[in-house]
Amino acid sequence: MEVILKKDRLGEWAAKLGEGADVFAPAFVEDCWAFTKVEPGGEVALDHGNTVRPAKGFVFPQREVLYRFSQDSGGAPRLTETLPDDPRAVVFGVRPCDGRAMVRNDKVFTCGFADPYYQARRERVAYVGLACAEPPSPNCFCLSVGGSPDAEDGLDVLMTELDGRYYVKALTAKGKDIVVAASSLFSEAQPADRSEAESVHAAARSHPQRSIAAMDKVAEGLKRNFDSPEWDALARACIGCGACTYLCPSCHCFDINDEITSRSPLAGERVRTWDNCQFPEFTMHTSGHNPRETTGARLRQRICHKLLYFVENHNIQQCTGCGRCITHCPVGIDIVRIANVMEEAAGQ
Amino acid sequence: MVVMEDIRARAKELLESGKVRAVLGYRRSSAGVLAEPAFVTAPEDTAALVLDATCVENLALYLVNEKKRQRAEKTPDTRPLAIVAKGCDSRTINVLLQENYIKRDEVVILGVSCENGGVIDTKKLNRALRGKPATAASFDGNGSVKAVFTGGETAVPAAEVLADRCLECTQAYPSVSDFFFGEKESGRTYNRRFTAVSAVADKGMEERSDFWAGHFDRCIRCYACRAVCPMCYCDECVVDSTNCVVKATTTADEKANRIRWIERSVCPSENAMYHLVRAMHLAGRCTDCGECERVCPVNIPLRLLNTMLEREALEMFEYQPGLDPEQPSLISSFRDGDPNDFIR
Amino acid sequence: MSKNIYLPKLARIAGIKDEVPGARGIKTFFVEFPDGDGFEHECGQCAMISVFGKGESMISIASAPAVKEYKQFSIMRTGRVTTAIHDMKPGDIVGVRGPYGNKFPLENWKGRNLVFIGGGVGLAPIWPVIQTAVANRADFGKISVFYGARTSRDIMYAEALEALRGAADVHLSIDAPEEGWQGFCGFVPANLLDKPQSPDNAVAVTCGPPIMIKFVIKNLIGMGFADEQIYTTIENKMKCGVGKCGRCNAGKDYVCVNGPVYSWAQLKDMPQEY
Repeated sequence: MEVILKKDRLGEWAAKLGEGADVFAPAFVEDCWAFTKVEPGGEVALDHGNTVRPAKGFVFPQREVLYRFSQDSGGAPRLTETLPDDPRAVVFGVRPCDGRAMVRNDKVFTCGFADPYYQARRERVAYVGLACAEPPSPNCFCLSVGGSPDAEDGLDVLMTELDGRYYVKALTAKGKDIVVAASSLFSEAQPADRSEAESVHAAARSHPQRSIAAMDKVAEGLKRNFDSPEWDALARACIGCGACTYLCPSCHCFDINDEITSRSPLAGERVRTWDNCQFPEFTMHTSGHNPRETTGARLRQRICHKLLYFVENHNIQQCTGCGRCITHCPVGIDIVRIANVMEEAAGQ
Repeated sequence: MVVMEDIRARAKELLESGKVRAVLGYRRSSAGVLAEPAFVTAPEDTAALVLDATCVENLALYLVNEKKRQRAEKTPDTRPLAIVAKGCDSRTINVLLQENYIKRDEVVILGVSCENGGVIDTKKLNRALRGKPATAASFDGNGSVKAVFTGGETAVPAAEVLADRCLECTQAYPSVSDFFFGEKESGRTYNRRFTAVSAVADKGMEERSDFWAGHFDRCIRCYACRAVCPMCYCDECVVDSTNCVVKATTTADEKANRIRWIERSVCPSENAMYHLVRAMHLAGRCTDCGECERVCPVNIPLRLLNTMLEREALEMFEYQPGLDPEQPSLISSFRDGDPNDFIR
Repeated sequence: MSKNIYLPKLARIAGIKDEVPGARGIKTFFVEFPDGDGFEHECGQCAMISVFGKGESMISIASAPAVKEYKQFSIMRTGRVTTAIHDMKPGDIVGVRGPYGNKFPLENWKGRNLVFIGGGVGLAPIWPVIQTAVANRADFGKISVFYGARTSRDIMYAEALEALRGAADVHLSIDAPEEGWQGFCGFVPANLLDKPQSPDNAVAVTCGPPIMIKFVIKNLIGMGFADEQIYTTIENKMKCGVGKCGRCNAGKDYVCVNGPVYSWAQLKDMPQEY
């Protein structure tokens, strides 16, 4: 289903959707773009680069209560499952790199053992993508990892900005629903619209980006150089924070902890929170043994997971080239640079 | 005038003579406009060292990190580290010396003067360039920053893009150094000290409460602020429930009974506690390198928390951290005349 | 298993046996499912044991799959969750989620000689294999069990090990001489060298402290065992147990899903990150 929306009617679309769902769109808050709830009658503008925080948070929130437990003294524990029951949500302004990352996250959370919390949210969230007319960041490299500025996977709708209007393509049943919900706002797309959209896409694809020449050589280089001292050199400046992983649209590591709200009688919550492989104690055994004791080992883990292990397990790159980890790393650790180093090292 | 070649030559000489095991400096980065930390061990690599308005990092952090790295080595190289240090960086080094985390003979300080310049704040630069990403930024020596972006360049008044700490800086050169580059400047005329924090701290309680609650709500507890702070060198951090130093002699009881002062959950209460407790632990120790605020991915104005406490330290106790490695620490010393009207 | 992969079943501790005393003591817990909602498991699999308010810990299931009345867990006291488990009494309720992980391919070993080498609490993960082999004695050739601990008081499953004699050759060891100790004195790998095992038609299964596994494998290879003939079970820090939290991987494998059982042929090519 391909339709046209006049730019000045975007707010009306959001308002219509807001009648039955929470609507989010990028807003410039504290000098950075963030997915922000659109209040009734609120403005929606899609003139952002990319948000700092990725779109994964809508289906994989940073804090999720898995269940509550309680136990009277001398009694048996009682567990109360707390599956998410949030309202439906529509998220505007999702870049194709974040959409493609959702496909990766789907593999992690729905294949093998199916995660009911993720699934419950995934069903209720619609991702409305916005094709990139040019790379939103100087660190974009989606083309190198099999993506593109107009990629559709993982999204429910893809919008492309044309002259005075948006080209709106519904990609899934959910996407169709949210277009049909405001059908009076749209007109049918004409061949001229489609060809203008295609020109925008082609122009976007020809914009220079950061580049990695051959991902399969990168994987080979990573495999061969697991024990290389180069990792310690690459990670020398790493400070072990969580900026790269928390901002990554396809990172999914988490922790599970019990948080007590009452000691006697016992009551509390078993809570899932984001965790990250760059924290020093991420893999530390209770005995004190830590398989990844150095920043070099932890950096190697992150890069290998993204560009090798996930590929070996699922046949697709886990990294979607959004560049956030490069932009926000406090000390300039750069996955593209590392990939290029490893690509060169593949031959040796 | 700071002559870059002089710094490179000195760094090269220190490496060639074997006097130091590495030189901590800055080099260009593939990741963006800011320079990145360089660990130079080969004399010829000193050619890549740079010094300009993009050299924002506080390299004193690596005096701490390298020391920790060495603890794990069986036969560590005990030669000193040379470090390129701006005024603010050298004040950090002074506190590390004062607290005995490092010894004076473990560091060779290549002090550089900012000479009425300073470093840029990339948020401010973004605003000045209306979002066009900068590829280079440097002082033109005339009160402006020349910013280069894809497709052109422009000059922006320094006062618009310098970091807040530079605008408020009272001494933009190291007080302690082994080699000194540039001239000790005088007559900085940007802002008075504590200008930024006064804009917030002098407001009413409710307004300040809302201000900070709003910011702490956005925190993602990535711990970048703590990880980049040279003064946060504790192996086991009280406001991090996941880290726990476990040695062969640590008993099951010690692990079982370890108190989690703050839960893992990212929520307003835990976030506020994390930031406020960390700020308190830095009182009298923070030397305003501003890195905490720079590295925050969601732009929480963290520097204000610490400069608030430094303002109090100055007003109540005439104390300024980092000017003198021999001075006592604020928290663990007292003078007879110290105010005590808050003790009731 | 419950539809919610993170939600444990509630199970009752039917009995507790003190195996090894002391600060890092080992207790065996016999756990029943009073609501009849237990689960079947294979040799080598593990389960997450919950103490609500403290947390969860991944523990090997030490009972044989054929035992339906209870699941057996032998747990060393080492941290927050295991200390809380040790403080429990018969009748107390714990959470159990499982079974997780892969299994020892016992069905491929019919007709072969089996050599088991365990150390410390590492006997527990391989115990179900030993029990199953002995219970189906006719299906296997010679069975040898090497087991050692630091001192005689640290030997777990002492009576059960004695009961194996006859069905299996049992070779116990302690690290240093003790008055009254008749068996071998020295480390487990040394005991193995002292009684060399033929690799012909044999499979070796080992588990124990990492240093012990390292030297046991070295000695087995020295005796002529091929990499495919040596099996072990590894451990890593785990939280979800279902291959999602990203913590326990060694290379591309999540130990909780693709492991913990590996042959040395597989393990030696994996990143040594465990």
